[in-house]
Amino acid sequence: MFEKDSASRRCQQKFVSRRNLIRGGAGAVLGAGLLSTKPAYAGHNDDDRGGRSRGPIIKPIPGGVTPFAPFGVFVHHNPLNPANALAVANISDPSQITDFDGFVGLTHIRGGGTGTDSSGTTQLAYQADMGFGQGKFIGTDGFEHRGTFAFV
Amino acid sequence: MYTGPVGSANLPEQIHDYNVHIDSNDVFWMVQVEHDAVEVDFDNSKASLRVRRLPVYDDHDLANSLTLGLGLPGDLGFPFPQIAPVFPVRAKVSFDVEWTGILDTAKIENSMQQFKGTFLSTGATIKWKAEQDGFTFQSEEPDPSRNLISVLGREQNGVFFT
Repeated sequence: MFEKDSASRRCQQKFVSRRNLIRGGAGAVLGAGLLSTKPAYAGHNDDDRGGRSRGPIIKPIPGGVTPFAPFGVFVHHNPLNPANALAVANISDPSQITDFDGFVGLTHIRGGGTGTDSSGTTQLAYQADMGFGQGKFIGTDGFEHRGTFAFV
Repeated sequence: MYTGPVGSANLPEQIHDYNVHIDSNDVFWMVQVEHDAVEVDFDNSKASLRVRRLPVYDDHDLANSLTLGLGLPGDLGFPFPQIAPVFPVRAKVSFDVEWTGILDTAKIENSMQQFKGTFLSTGATIKWKAEQDGFTFQSEEPDPSRNLISVLGREQNGVFFT
C-alpha cells in the first residue's frame, strides 16, 4: 500500500511539474496575446502544449461537476444526460467558455471500431464526448475576441 | 475506448482516454482550432466539426484524466473501482462530427447559471481515428443509431447574459 501511494505521489509530482511547465508557457502566450485582439489559431504540430492555442486565453464557466469526488478535480463542464435527449429545456449550460456569445455543440455517442497494435486487431468500444464553441468571447485580457474551439 | 461490447463504457475496461487536458486557466478540454474546422447552419439544425491529427494526450482512462494521473484507490468506501495510476502519453486524433436533425428545441434563460439561448437536441454521427506509438484506432462508419444525446445551441453566457 505504501509503495502504491509513493508511486502515486511520484506520478502526481511528474504530472504537476509538467502542468506547471504548461502553465508557464501559457503565461507567455497571454503576454503575446495582449499585443493583438485578433485570434491566433493553433498550430497542429504544437506538441509542447498538447495542441493548446496560441490565441487569447478563454475563461471557464463557473459551474461544473466533480465526477470522482473527493479524488478528482472539479471540471468546468456540464455533461449531457442522455435522459434529457427529448427534453433539451432541462440542460445546464453546454458551453465550457464563459463570457461567450456564439454557437455551441456537444455530443455523447457510443460506438465501435478497430484497434491495431503489434499483436493484431481488436474490436473495441468507444464513448465520444465532444463538441465545439464558435463565436465571440471576453478573454482574460479583458478584450473581446472571436474564436473557434473544439471540445476534445 | 473500452474492451467491452459496443454501447458499454465501464471504467475498469477503459484502455484509452484522449483529450487535450484542462488548460492553464481551468477551461475543460477546449483547444482552439482553425475557424473552418467548424461549420454551423443553425437555421437548418446542422453543424460539423472536422479536425485532422490534433495532438492530444492519452490518459488511459477517465479516472486518471480527472485525478491528474493518480487513479482511484478503490478501497476507501467510495463508489469507484480501483484504477491504477497511469502517466499520459502523446497521441493524435482526427474526427468528423456531424450534428443534424431536430429531436427537441427549447429557449432557455437560466439566471442561476447565467446563460440563455436557443438549444436543439439533434441527431449526430462521428467518425474518428487515433494514432500513437504502437497503436491505432479507426472507428466504424458514421451510424446515427449510436447517438445518445447531442445538442446544438446559439447562446450567450456570462457578461453576454444580461
